[in-house]
Amino acid sequence: MEVKEESHREDRLSINRLGLWLFILSDGFLFIALLTTRFYIQGVQRPPELNQPLGLVISIVLLLSSLCAYRGETAAAFGDIKRFRRNILFTIGLGCLFLAGVAIEWTEGFRFFPPSTSYGMVFFTLTGFHAFHVLTGILALVIVLLPGQQKRLQAGNHWGVEAMVKYWHFVDVAWVFIFPTLYLVS
Amino acid sequence: MNKKPNLKFKLRLGFIVFGALMVIEIAEYVLGTRMKTGNWPYLGLLAIIGAWPILQYFMHIFDLRRHKE
Repeated sequence: MEVKEESHREDRLSINRLGLWLFILSDGFLFIALLTTRFYIQGVQRPPELNQPLGLVISIVLLLSSLCAYRGETAAAFGDIKRFRRNILFTIGLGCLFLAGVAIEWTEGFRFFPPSTSYGMVFFTLTGFHAFHVLTGILALVIVLLPGQQKRLQAGNHWGVEAMVKYWHFVDVAWVFIFPTLYLVS
Repeated sequence: MNKKPNLKFKLRLGFIVFGALMVIEIAEYVLGTRMKTGNWPYLGLLAIIGAWPILQYFMHIFDLRRHKE
């Protein structure tokens, strides 16, 4: 009976994982379409006023947040609730820092390449779409920290954490392509 | 019983992946700022190389292929 229950749980986990990956794939296609738009509309040109050092700094912040998310998920899988909470809180903080960096970029962007220009249109669409993903990721991570989720963790079920953290890493992967496409390609 | 060292190993692995990603990101930045034209193939390649460790080690993409024993 116990073996059957365990098998059922594993099956459900596999289906959940497959569903999440299909969602990530479909979202990924949207990012690919937007990245392609950059080359179609603007070619490989970029404005000289672009703040490349800030782009690098926010990239590092996002990568660091991914590391914290990974550590949080690993801790959750091993039942280390304290470490899990600490790392997810760091991830949320770094996500907010990333959004603050994007806000600075936007302030500069409105001055030098407003959305009415071809580069501005691509820049604001891509970074805006990505920032929206970061924002939803932050909300998802806040949900993961709620007491109800932690009860599940204590019961050995960490699928909720795994799913939210995977989504967070996806947002990071998207930025790994957006950063060179918008800031560095020439 | 042997979960603790495993946890430590996994946490250390996260730092190694992060270090590799930092190197790739800085290499991209140097390439993008120093090479004024024709850098896009190299940047594309570096972006793919950078995405790979995140997909494999952080997102565990190969868990999908793992079958039950």
